[in-house]
Amino acid sequence: MFLTRSEYDRGVNTFSPEGRLFQVEYAIEAIKLGSTAIGICTPEGVVLGVEKRITSPLMITSKIEKIFEVDKHIGCAVSGLIADSRTMVERARAESQNHWFTYNEQMSVESVAQAVSNLAIQFSGDYDSKEPAMSRPFGVAIMFAGIDNNGPQLFHLDPSGTYVQYNAKAIGSGSEGAQQTLQEKYHKSMGLNEAINVILNILKQVMEDKLSPTNIEIVTVTPDKLYHMLDKDELQEVFDKLVPFPEETKASTSAAVSGTVA
Amino acid sequence: MDTIIDRGAPKARNFEPYASNGGSIVAISGKDFAIVASDTRLSEGYMIYTRKQSKLFQLSDKSVLGCTGCWCDTLSLTNIIQSQLKSYLYDHNTVMQPNSIAQLLSTLLYSRRFFPYYVYNVLAGLDNNGEGCLYSYDPVGHCEKVNYTAGGSSGVLMQPFLDSWLGNRTTDNPVTEEEALSLVKDAFTAAGERDIYTGDEVVYNIIKKDGIQTGVVQLRKD
Repeated sequence: MFLTRSEYDRGVNTFSPEGRLFQVEYAIEAIKLGSTAIGICTPEGVVLGVEKRITSPLMITSKIEKIFEVDKHIGCAVSGLIADSRTMVERARAESQNHWFTYNEQMSVESVAQAVSNLAIQFSGDYDSKEPAMSRPFGVAIMFAGIDNNGPQLFHLDPSGTYVQYNAKAIGSGSEGAQQTLQEKYHKSMGLNEAINVILNILKQVMEDKLSPTNIEIVTVTPDKLYHMLDKDELQEVFDKLVPFPEETKASTSAAVSGTVA
Repeated sequence: MDTIIDRGAPKARNFEPYASNGGSIVAISGKDFAIVASDTRLSEGYMIYTRKQSKLFQLSDKSVLGCTGCWCDTLSLTNIIQSQLKSYLYDHNTVMQPNSIAQLLSTLLYSRRFFPYYVYNVLAGLDNNGEGCLYSYDPVGHCEKVNYTAGGSSGVLMQPFLDSWLGNRTTDNPVTEEEALSLVKDAFTAAGERDIYTGDEVVYNIIKKDGIQTGVVQLRKD
């Protein structure tokens, strides 16, 4: 495998003879080291859930941020190099505000994804841009969750600048297992509470640390509340109401919706 | 010995970037329609350039812009708006709604705050709910959503006329399409009598759910 990479993995803007851009591929590998983030799009709204890696008990966990508000109606969860993500979130916010300023309407989720994807591929240097080219691709995967004229939307953007719409998506180190579970659990008529329950359960499965209300972050984007990050009490509440996945998949769904099982 | 050439007293050359090419616009919005009309005379001073130039610009299936003032600025501005609408369609996969065009036009005009487009704009269209909507502008981008308006060279003549007919309307007595059209015709006929920069013909666009209906009415040609 490494034989073919030879010298072609040095420059960000040189194709290998096989037609590959290794630095971009490495960046896509890099995002698999990030903390797990999960997004589910339901008819009632979109839910984002992330794990916070607490590497020291002295850390102030409330100051670790992995989900950001882009605009009133759009949020995004990031995984990978968080420092890089700040630049991208900043762009998303600027584009969203600019759209509102120019057109007096909320920017659509897809357009935000498109705007940030333009930034993601500027590492190779734009011929008409006065800014110096960035030295490397961003090592970040982003999920944009929001409400627009087309209803609840979830988009995933990778370091190559490719963005795809999903019903449910997981990114980060636990994404492979999480994606598998999402495929089993996702259905079109999923409610918001059920989606939160699924996310909590999957995070529980894939996280190395023990799941607790202090080491996760959950955001909902709904038509009435728009972007809403669950605070300490709300997190505790959903945590207390957590219904584990049973052996038979069917039973958990109804219980989660009614919220009767503690 | 140096030769001294007498070039006379120094003369100042004034920079005059603007022309006033006349033309008027009237627009009225109703419950499920919007009507916008302009005359077709293009002139400067005592000269008529053409008797057949409409000042209405269709921007989409649901919006028409009326634009008068300095004709070269009208052409430039409407071209910019039309290209921006196309870019918006390609970028966001939807046709821009009239309320967004209204905001875009406002920012566009204000971006030229200190060297303005010398134009009076009226944007007419159907909003997201299918109701008629109307936006009236000044040359530097102040935008106001109104139910009826008159602008251009005869704006000051026609506005009081519209005020007297439509100013006290309530929601349970909305203006009908027929009434609106006849007010538009009367306003222009009256303006054509008094204003030499308004005349020849009136072209009108009635914007409705199923499309834009156009028509022509003759005015004084002198």
